[in-house]
Amino acid sequence: MRAIIIDDERLARAELKKLLQDFPEIEVIDEAANAEEGISKIDSLNPELVFLDIQMPGKTGFDMLSELERAPYVIFTTAYDEYALKAFEVNALDYLLKPVEPKRLADAIQKLHLTEQKENRHGTENVNNSLLSESDQVFVKDGERCWFVKLSDIRLFESVGNYAKVFFGTNKPLILKSLNALEERLDEKTFFRANRKHIVNLRLIEKIEPYFNGGLLLELKGGEKIEVSRRQTVKFKEMMSL
Amino acid sequence: MQIMRIGKRLYWVFQLSGWGLFTLINIFFAFIFDKIEWKFGFRLMIYIGLGLLLSHGMRWVVHRTNILYKPLQSQITSFISITLVFAMLVGISETYIQQYFDILPRESGTNRPIAVPKLILNNAFYSFVYLFIWNCIYFIYHYIEKSRKQQLDTLKLEALVKELELKTIKAHINPHFIFNSLNSIRALVDENPERARRAVTELSNILRSSMQVEKAETVNFEKELNIVKDYLALENMRFEDRLKVVYEIDEDTLDQQVPPMMLQTLVENAIKHGISKQLNGGIVKIVSDFRNSHHELIVQNTGYLNGALNGHEGFGLSSTQNRLHLLYGDKANFEIRQATPTLVEAKLSIPVEAK
Repeated sequence: MRAIIIDDERLARAELKKLLQDFPEIEVIDEAANAEEGISKIDSLNPELVFLDIQMPGKTGFDMLSELERAPYVIFTTAYDEYALKAFEVNALDYLLKPVEPKRLADAIQKLHLTEQKENRHGTENVNNSLLSESDQVFVKDGERCWFVKLSDIRLFESVGNYAKVFFGTNKPLILKSLNALEERLDEKTFFRANRKHIVNLRLIEKIEPYFNGGLLLELKGGEKIEVSRRQTVKFKEMMSL
Repeated sequence: MQIMRIGKRLYWVFQLSGWGLFTLINIFFAFIFDKIEWKFGFRLMIYIGLGLLLSHGMRWVVHRTNILYKPLQSQITSFISITLVFAMLVGISETYIQQYFDILPRESGTNRPIAVPKLILNNAFYSFVYLFIWNCIYFIYHYIEKSRKQQLDTLKLEALVKELELKTIKAHINPHFIFNSLNSIRALVDENPERARRAVTELSNILRSSMQVEKAETVNFEKELNIVKDYLALENMRFEDRLKVVYEIDEDTLDQQVPPMMLQTLVENAIKHGISKQLNGGIVKIVSDFRNSHHELIVQNTGYLNGALNGHEGFGLSSTQNRLHLLYGDKANFEIRQATPTLVEAKLSIPVEAK
């Protein structure tokens, strides 16, 4: 598993690298000293795993993640930070406290292997495939709360100005991405542009009803009712008849 | 217990001298108007006896009903009604005792005794006046005593709050810093064992001083500066070339007294809100100098002041201000400002001690 360490302190990176020598399956391919550098290295190297410090100059680790198109597996590292610890508690993200206890590191990596097996993600290494697949996860931050969300759990994107509202579970946080940009990146076999304002997850549709003007009304698993425009209805029917 | 006993003795002093004075005044006027006779003396003795007894009973009622702890409004009404009741009691018992001994006063110019109901009212009226004065003294004494005690309690409470505040401010060492330092030290153990050993010493010094500091109001500036130096050496180990430290210390200021951990807090803030937020780090400059008979301590750091004065981060600053005020009153000063577009400057100015 290829990993990147992102931390603003060289010694902290060196220490973690040293600890990781005991885990030959984790290959540290690069390091970054701040969020900007982190983003560009993640984009170019496409690692499966990132060790991420929260407190960094410029942007925090959370900010960095929410700017990524596709979030890799992340293990957070922090020294002591009440706010970050609170975020971890709320969202059950995996984290290590510095100085890192080797046993805790082993546990975290063990947990990672389990998730990986379950999801069988990146099994066939879809390197730099620009399309996001269903098993990809995104990092969503809304105020104090944040989530790793699998695309297959998202039932709806709704356009709100420059933002998009993401519907999953009982949450609907905003992300700073336009619906058009999202549409380009999403797999159209799963995510369908129903109208100007909505992209729906085809696998999470509960009911389909005819609507005026030969359009359709989709009811999603969360109860949201989305109208399919007349033009898109043709396309929708084509896709569904396949 | 002690206080109660003193209060009781004081009560008897007041009580006996009050009624004694009353007796003397009565005898004095009787002497002047030449009315000294055995009936007058007898009546006076009866009256004094009743007065002592019933005013003491009145005190007992006041104690039993806890009137003194009620709101002022109801205290006043209670006192007046108690005075009325006891005045009636005195009036009634005085009159009947006088009747029993057959020493009722006569109607002026005749030898007929005054009718009993009229006499009761008459006696009650005079008693009301005396008991009213008695109660006024009692009430005012307790009122003053209570407010003095309250004032004392408030002062004690304020002092306690201040002490606690100081303790929490002083004992504050950023845990983020401690754990990050420990993490760096662990990395250095292999990379640079010599530096690692030094770092352990530096960290110990800081931890020790933060524990000892609670005892002293002020410390030698040299001691404080050494802690700051240890602290910055550790931060330098973490930030490496992202942190540059400059000292401009006037040697003569080293034996000045300063509040412990105050400069340290400012330097910590300079790192936390300044250097650690800059991608390329920056500079921390510490200046110690004399100016206008004040000891001036300046901490400059690369960074921006925007909004740092509010909310959570403002706590450290306002507590620095409070501490200075507690220690030096208006003679000390603290300010923080954007000195140049890229430099934030915090300035402490402490009055120079006369030796």
